[in-house]
Amino acid sequence: MKFKHTLILFLLVTSIIFAQDKSSISGIIKDASNGETLFGASIYLKDTSIGVLSNEYGFYSLTAPKGNYTLVISYLGYTDVEQEINLTEDQKFDVELKINSTQLEEVVITSSDSEEVNIKKPQMSVLKLNASTIKQVPVVLGEVDILKTIVMLPGVTNNGEGSSGFNVRGGAVDQNLVLLDEAIIYNTSHVFGFFSVFNADAIKDLKLYKGGIPAKFGGRVSSVLDVRQKDGNNKEFKLTGGVGLISSRLAIEAPIVKDKGSFIVAGRTSYANIFLEFMEEDFGVNFYDLNLKGNYSLNENNKLYLSGYFGRDDMRFSDSFQNSYGNLSGNLRWNHIFNEKLFSNLSLIYSEYDYEFELNLFEFVWNSSIKNYNVKYDLMYYANEAIKLNFGANIISYDFNPGIISPTSSNSSVNYFELDQKRAFEAAFYISAEQKLSEQFSLEYGLRFSLFNRLGGQAIATYENDLPVVYNSQLGVYETGNIIGETIYSKSEKIATFNNLEPRLAMALQLNESSSVKAGFSRTAQYIHLLSNTTNVTPLDVWTPSGEFIKPQLSNQYSFGYFKNFNDKMFSLEIETYYKTIDNRIDYIDGADLIGNNYIEGEILNGEARAYGLEFLLRKTAGKFTGWFAYTLAKAEQRTLGGNAGGPGINDGNWYNSAYDRTHDFSITAAYRLNPKWSFGANFVFQTGRPVTYPNGQYSYEGLSIASYTDRNSERLPAYNRLDVSATYTPNKRPNKRWKGEWVFGIYNAYDRKNAAAISFGQNTETGVNEATRTAIFGIVPSASYNFKF
Amino acid sequence: MRIHIKFSILLITILLASCTDVIDVNVPEAEPRLVVEASLDWEQGTEGNVQTILLSLSTPYFDSETINYVTGAEVKVTNNNTSEVFNFLDNNNGAYTTTNFMPIVDNEYSLEITYNGETYSAVETLMPVTGINSVYQSKDQGFNKDFLEVNVTFDDPADIENFYLIKFQQQGNFLPELFDISDEFTDGNEMHVFYEKEEFKAGDVVEINLNGISKQYYNFIRLLIEQSSDGGPFATIPAQLKGNCINQTTPENYAFGYFRLTEVSKEIYTFK
Repeated sequence: MKFKHTLILFLLVTSIIFAQDKSSISGIIKDASNGETLFGASIYLKDTSIGVLSNEYGFYSLTAPKGNYTLVISYLGYTDVEQEINLTEDQKFDVELKINSTQLEEVVITSSDSEEVNIKKPQMSVLKLNASTIKQVPVVLGEVDILKTIVMLPGVTNNGEGSSGFNVRGGAVDQNLVLLDEAIIYNTSHVFGFFSVFNADAIKDLKLYKGGIPAKFGGRVSSVLDVRQKDGNNKEFKLTGGVGLISSRLAIEAPIVKDKGSFIVAGRTSYANIFLEFMEEDFGVNFYDLNLKGNYSLNENNKLYLSGYFGRDDMRFSDSFQNSYGNLSGNLRWNHIFNEKLFSNLSLIYSEYDYEFELNLFEFVWNSSIKNYNVKYDLMYYANEAIKLNFGANIISYDFNPGIISPTSSNSSVNYFELDQKRAFEAAFYISAEQKLSEQFSLEYGLRFSLFNRLGGQAIATYENDLPVVYNSQLGVYETGNIIGETIYSKSEKIATFNNLEPRLAMALQLNESSSVKAGFSRTAQYIHLLSNTTNVTPLDVWTPSGEFIKPQLSNQYSFGYFKNFNDKMFSLEIETYYKTIDNRIDYIDGADLIGNNYIEGEILNGEARAYGLEFLLRKTAGKFTGWFAYTLAKAEQRTLGGNAGGPGINDGNWYNSAYDRTHDFSITAAYRLNPKWSFGANFVFQTGRPVTYPNGQYSYEGLSIASYTDRNSERLPAYNRLDVSATYTPNKRPNKRWKGEWVFGIYNAYDRKNAAAISFGQNTETGVNEATRTAIFGIVPSASYNFKF
Repeated sequence: MRIHIKFSILLITILLASCTDVIDVNVPEAEPRLVVEASLDWEQGTEGNVQTILLSLSTPYFDSETINYVTGAEVKVTNNNTSEVFNFLDNNNGAYTTTNFMPIVDNEYSLEITYNGETYSAVETLMPVTGINSVYQSKDQGFNKDFLEVNVTFDDPADIENFYLIKFQQQGNFLPELFDISDEFTDGNEMHVFYEKEEFKAGDVVEINLNGISKQYYNFIRLLIEQSSDGGPFATIPAQLKGNCINQTTPENYAFGYFRLTEVSKEIYTFK
C-alpha cells in the first residue's frame, strides 16, 4: 500500500516537471457588494474542459496551453462574468461578482452559491450550506441554528430536543471534528443542546463531510463540520441584528481600510433567566457568545486574518449551585500567494473548552477543561490543467484537565484533589492530488500520516495481570482491576506513541452532461475520546487522550453514490450508500463511573462499531419554491467483547444497536417565496425512535421498587415526528432607505406532538406505584422575531 | 461525593420536570428471579441477635402486587472466622429470622439459601461504622431556602477508604431516601448529609440509619440509587444490577438483591 502511493506521487511529480508551454491565470473571487471572498465559485475556460473551483479563501488558479480564451466565472445567484484573455504569460485576475439583480426582481430565489451538486469533482458525501439557506429553515423559538438544519439532511441525526451535538452516519458525537474558522470546538451546544454555539449572523458557510474526508482533515472518525465565519464587509459599514423571544443578536461589519481590510463583531445574548417564567423555582439559565474576525491585505500576495470566538453558558439554582461552561478559540492566519500556482495558508490556533461547577452547600468548586495549541500549514499547488495538489502539516498540543476539586472555605468537608493532568501531542502530514484523467474520469487520492504521543508528567497505574478491568465470573460483572503500583513518567518521557497511515481515495465517473457516479474510501484515526455513558452527551463529560490503555479509534469507510442534476440544474438528486467500520470504540462496563475518576481505564472496554446505510437527497435549488427531501435507511451497531478482561463482554458479546441507530430518517424542508413581502417555510421530520434500555421486571429492596433491565439498547423510544412552519414578512422597501427589516413568525412542532426526549421509570412518590415518565421538551412553540440590516 | 458533581445534571432535570407526563409503555417481561434482601444490620449499642432475611420473586414491571414472597426456602448464615452457623427460620411470609446471631466486626460471613432445588450463596464481611455526631434541622441551608431539611454529621476515619449508606425514612411515608457516600474527596473530614423536602413541617419524624458498607456493596447500592432516581435525558444508561448472591446450581439464574453485613448508627429526629 505504502509503495503504491509513493509510486503514484512520483509519477505525478514527474508529470508536473515536464509540463511546458503553458501559462497560468490566478486571482481571488469576491462578492462585489461586501467584499466577502467566495468559496466554491466555478472558474473555467469557455469551450474547454479546463476549470477549477475557488478555494476557501476565494483563490483560484488555472493553467492552460498558451492562447486566447474566454474566462468564465460563475456562482449561483450571481451574474456570470466573461473575460477575454490572452494567455501568453502568467497573470492575475481578481473578480468581484454582482448579485444577480434580475433574479431578485422576479423573486426567483436560488439557494445561493454552489449548493448544486457538483457532478464532476470526486468529492462525495459532502453537504454545503450557506447562511442564507440556513436562515430559511424554521427553527424553535426563532433562533436560527445551523446544527438543527444539518440534522435535516440525510445521514445526520441527533437525539432530539435538548441533546448536544449530532451524529453522522451512525457515529458518536465525539467523532465529529467541528471547526469554527479552523479552531476545534469541543462542545457545540448552549443550554444542553437547545441552541448551537454558531451565531448565524457571523457565519458565511459550512461544509459537512460525512465520508470521503479529504486528507487535509483528520483526528475524528465520523465527520468534519467546517464552519467559516464572515470576513466582514470591506465596502461599507453594516449593522445586522435581531430581537427574538429568547435572545438578541447584533453584528457590526465595517472596512478597516476600504477594499483592503475589514472586521466583523457579532454578539448574541439570551435574556436573563430565560426559563424562569416556566419555573416556580429560583433558576437562572443564560448564554451568550461573541464572534470576532478581522482581515487585512498587506499586498496582493499576503493577507492576514484574525478570528475569535468566545461563548459561555451560566446556570444557577438559587445560591446553592452554579454551573458555567463554554468554548474559547482564536486563530491568526496568513494567506500567502507564492506565485500563480502556489497558494499557502499558515494558521496559529488556540482553542479550549472548560466546565466549572460550584456547589455552595458543600463549599467546593469543580472544574475540568481541554486546551489545545494548533499550528497548520496548508498549501495548494495548481500544477497544470489536470492536477491540483494539496499538502501540508498540522501540529496540535493538548492539555487535559479531567477535574480539579477545591474547597471554597476552610470549613468545607471537601479536600483539594486534582485528577491526573494529561498531555498529548498530535502531528500530521498530508498530501493529496485532484487529477483529471480524462474528460469523464477524475480522481482524488491522498495520504495522511498521523502521529500521536501521549506525553509524561504523570503517574500511570499498574494493574494486577495488566488488567484494568476484570470479569468477576462468580458475580457475572466487570469490575475495576486491582492497582498494584504505578509508573511515574517524567515530562520528557512518552507514555505511549501511535502512528497511522490514512489513505483517502475518491473517484468520479461522469456518465453524461448531468449525471455521474462516485466512489470513495477513507481511513481515519482518532486519538482523543469523549467519555460519556449517559444517554445524551452532557457538558461535564471530559475528553481523554489515547494512551497506555485506550487505543486510537480507526475507521474505514467505503461509499458509493449516484449524482444527477436535472431541469437546468433546478433539481439535484444524490443517492449514496456507505459502509463504515470503527475499531477500538470505547464502551463502558455496566454502571461505569466516569466523573471524577482517576482510573477511567477501569471502567471501559475496547469495542468495535459498524454502520451502513442508504441516503437519498432530492433538492430543488432554484425557483419560487426551494427545499429538499431527505431519506436515510441505516443501521449502526457496536460490539464489545471481554477481550483480556475475560467474560462475554457487553450484552453477551453480541452486536447491539448503538444509541445513534435510526432505521428510518425522513425529512422535508421547504421554502416558498410568495411575493417580495411574504415567504414561507416548513419542515417535517419522521424518525425511528432511539434505542434505549427498558425495565423487564421489578423487585422490592430497601423499601423501594427496583427495576431489572433488559440488555443495553434493546428497546426503542416511540418514533419521533414533528412539523414546523414559518412565515417571513418584509415590509415595503423604500429604495433610498438603508434600514431593512423583516418579521419572522414561526410555529415549532405545529401539531404539538409530545416527542419523548427520554422515558424514565420509577415509583410515584405518593402512591409508590411504578410508572413511566416521558420527558417531552417542546410541545407547540410559537415564536416571533424581528431582524434588521442597516 | 461524585454524585454531587452530577448535581448540575440534576439541575437541568429539574428544569425539564415541567415537561414531563406519565404515559403507558409496553415493556418486556423477564422470567421471575429470586430476590434476596439479606441485610444483617447490627445497631450500635445492641446485641444484634435478631436478624431477618427477606426472600421474594421479581414480578413484571407494572404489576401492582409488588411483592411475591417466597416460602419454604432453607436459609443459613455461617461465620467463616468462627465456623458458627445461624439458621434462619421460615416465618411463612417471606421473612426468615434468627434470634441468636452474633455480629463481629470485620468477620467474614457466608449465606446459603436452598430454594426450588437450587442453592444460592454469598460471602460478605461485616463493616463497622463511626457514629452519627449530630442531627439538626435548618431552613436557610439546603437547595431551597423555604424548605426544611434535616442535617446529619459524622466523622470519617482518616487514611482508610470508607463507604457509607445513609437512609432517611420519614414516618408515614413509605418511600425512603437513600444516599451512597464515599470518602474519596473527603477523607478524614467531618461529613455532612442533608435531606430536604418541601412537605417537611414541625412534628414530622424522620428515622436516620447510617451504615458502614463494603466497597463492593457501595458499587451495588450506588447504581441502585442512581437507577431508581429519575435522571431524565441525562441519566446514565441503566444496567442490570447484579448483587453478590450466586446460584451455585445454575449460575445464570443468579438472584437479585444482596447479602450485606453492616454496623448501623440510628437516630430519630422530630422536626420542631
